[in-house]
Amino acid sequence: MTCFHCGEPFLDPEETYQVQLPTKTVFLCCTGCEAITQSIVDNGLLSYYTHRTGTATKQNTVPDELALSWYDNAEIEDDFIRIKETEKEVTLAVDNLVCSACAWLIESHLFKHIGVTFFRVNATTHRATLRWDPKQTKLSDVLYSLHCLGYPSSPFEWDKYEKQHQQNIKKSLYRLGVAGIASMQVMMIAIALYFEWFGDLDPLFKQYLRIVSAIFSVPVLTYSAWPFYQSAYRSLRLRVLNMDVPVSLALILAFSASLYATYTQQGEVFFESITMFTFFLLCGRFGELKARYKASAFSANLYKATPSIATLVSGEQVATKSLSIGDVIFVRAGDVIPMDGILLKGETVCDESMLTGESTGVKKNIGESVFAGSINTKECIELKVTTEPQNTWLSHILKWQEEAQNAKPKVMALTDSISHYFILIILVLSVLTALIWWNISPDEALWITISVLVATCPCALSLATPTAFTCATAKLSKLGVLIKQAHVWDTLAKVDHCVLDKTGTLTYGKIQIESHQHFNRKWSLDEVYAITFALEQNINHPIAKAFQDLPQTKKVNIENIKSFESQGVSGWWQSQEWRLGNATFVGRPKNEGSGIWLTCDGDPVMRFALTDCFRPHTNAFVNAMKQRQWKHTVLTGDPSESAIATLSDFGFLSVKTGLFPQEKLEWVNRFAEKDIVMMIGDGINDAPVLAGAHVSIALNQGTDLAKSSADAILLGDSLMPILTACDLAKRCQRIVKQNFAWALGYNLCILPLAMMGMVPPYLAVLGMSFSSLLVVSNSLRLLK
Amino acid sequence: MSSLFLLIPIAMIFVFIAIMIFILAVKTDQFEDLERQGLDILLEEQQAKDKEPLKHD
Repeated sequence: MTCFHCGEPFLDPEETYQVQLPTKTVFLCCTGCEAITQSIVDNGLLSYYTHRTGTATKQNTVPDELALSWYDNAEIEDDFIRIKETEKEVTLAVDNLVCSACAWLIESHLFKHIGVTFFRVNATTHRATLRWDPKQTKLSDVLYSLHCLGYPSSPFEWDKYEKQHQQNIKKSLYRLGVAGIASMQVMMIAIALYFEWFGDLDPLFKQYLRIVSAIFSVPVLTYSAWPFYQSAYRSLRLRVLNMDVPVSLALILAFSASLYATYTQQGEVFFESITMFTFFLLCGRFGELKARYKASAFSANLYKATPSIATLVSGEQVATKSLSIGDVIFVRAGDVIPMDGILLKGETVCDESMLTGESTGVKKNIGESVFAGSINTKECIELKVTTEPQNTWLSHILKWQEEAQNAKPKVMALTDSISHYFILIILVLSVLTALIWWNISPDEALWITISVLVATCPCALSLATPTAFTCATAKLSKLGVLIKQAHVWDTLAKVDHCVLDKTGTLTYGKIQIESHQHFNRKWSLDEVYAITFALEQNINHPIAKAFQDLPQTKKVNIENIKSFESQGVSGWWQSQEWRLGNATFVGRPKNEGSGIWLTCDGDPVMRFALTDCFRPHTNAFVNAMKQRQWKHTVLTGDPSESAIATLSDFGFLSVKTGLFPQEKLEWVNRFAEKDIVMMIGDGINDAPVLAGAHVSIALNQGTDLAKSSADAILLGDSLMPILTACDLAKRCQRIVKQNFAWALGYNLCILPLAMMGMVPPYLAVLGMSFSSLLVVSNSLRLLK
Repeated sequence: MSSLFLLIPIAMIFVFIAIMIFILAVKTDQFEDLERQGLDILLEEQQAKDKEPLKHD
């Protein structure tokens, strides 16, 4: 049985929550899901459950109202808020949006919020536009109610490229629409003109129809086809040839010839051919543009505008971006350092995992540099700002990532150079054709040349790779794998060695108490829980987190708590010394088993066995890798013996434990000499390894640095989509090859025919369009 | 046949109107999200149905 709202299995089948629906009672897994379902029922939004196509994402953390209230800070607001008369408008990136029913749910819910005047969710890009009246409500209130509904959202900074992109899409839609509607009319009239073949057409009427189709072609050939002329002109100025050169040449030649024929009332007109040609070309380009926009919008959603606040030594809170060099700021223990700087006061340990991927803290003394984005874990510190806000180490990393994303994949670059030579040959051949036919029969020279230009237009060739990649990328995004680097398509298909990290990748990286052994009944279970909780509550360590979730019924006050790194904690309660830690720390012999011991004055009270949950389908994943005859290795920093045992239970043959990041990288480099290595990691210490493997996949829960050094990001819980991605990469390559074979083959066959004058222009257009359509629909097979 | 001399210009006017409507639709972002709006009709009808029994009560 699973939770009605989020579809996850119940953690504890005994402990479920119920909500009364009009028709039935449903069971839920946690208070978070219960609260959301209840609010959906109360607001009469039940049809969400009938129409949704995916289950909701589990959401049990109630947001911190204080953190959200930062969004109301006027100084920060300027970054993302647009003022519309008396209202304010903002674009939000919405998390956890699964299907259109979610979008509807959020909209219906928010319309009831006082002060919200406009709210619209775009289910394709996972964005929402919110307009509100600042007199009646605050942005943080709206965000809070979105969080409570299970859709954490945050204001999103439009980057200027994306805005441009969106405008481009609109413009091409206008052009496409005009071309579509007008070419339909021209085609209709063309059919009337074809009747000439069957019998006599009144010359006056024929002339009339020709003039009408000329009128309809004018907007298509001037307005809609404008981007082709522009791009051809640009490429000629750069002294390279792109596809638009022969396209523009053919369009201009054919259009002028047809206008001339209409004017002199003799010869042929090709209005229908050229308008259809323009329309088909625009269709292909629009599809490509749209797919690219969708992909870029998804990744842009990752860059949310986080309100960053810095506290000056005077206690005044200011927006981080208004800090300047020389300001002295104060950072509390546990807070993120807002700006690069030099430590002035206090000695601390910084968690720089976001920057370096290293989870062990780095000790910082007075006078040393600390970096924005790292976490101050130990003491309150004061630091002097040394950089401008836009020049922090963190922003450099983000910039590198952007640059890496813009790099062009090898295959695409190859197509470009092939079509460059191809176009050169076509242009030379059409000039030759024109010259030869001019000598044989000058009347026919023009339309034969146009046929050559149109029939051999390498549209299909240039569509061959991008369409396949776009379709495959879109398909994978749907499966929960975001492709960041296009080279992935080449490498994923060839992978034969999979290297995995354990903690956080195969497991959730969240340590939980599996079981406990109670040795001394003098203290009740509640007391023991209270003591362990009190000992661990202020410790920032993954193992301590497991104890912080213990059920609390009592409260005890422990004095003099001391923490010993990678051993345990000790403290005094009722004038007895309590120790919580590993066997050596509490003075037990090592062979007494692993786990965490609690002792009182040296007597064992309880032993906790800890475990880290494995991701679902781990077994299936291992078996699938074996089926593919991939080698697979687990590289883990975990030194324990039990790790090997558990992993071999799952069927992993090769496990290397207790490795430092450098050692991991050495292993991967060693593998990479012989095999094509795929690395999957969550990046707490995998960032360099991810960058070192042939192809790397980071988990979405991983650190930002891991995500930026990886080639692809896995969004979901299960590792299985990675295998699907490999299959898809193979199919994608096959399809690219087919597309190439078809496009080149077709062009080579039609070229001699067109040069011999055996292909009239309308057939040339049909052939070209058919060839492009074939390539595009072949690529579309990847979406299935 | 001669009626076409009049009908075609009329058709041209309609085509012009169609293009204007299309441009208006693009301008008001109607092509931004093609999945979402299709569902609206289903959901709102359902909601009305859900509410109806309450009225009678």
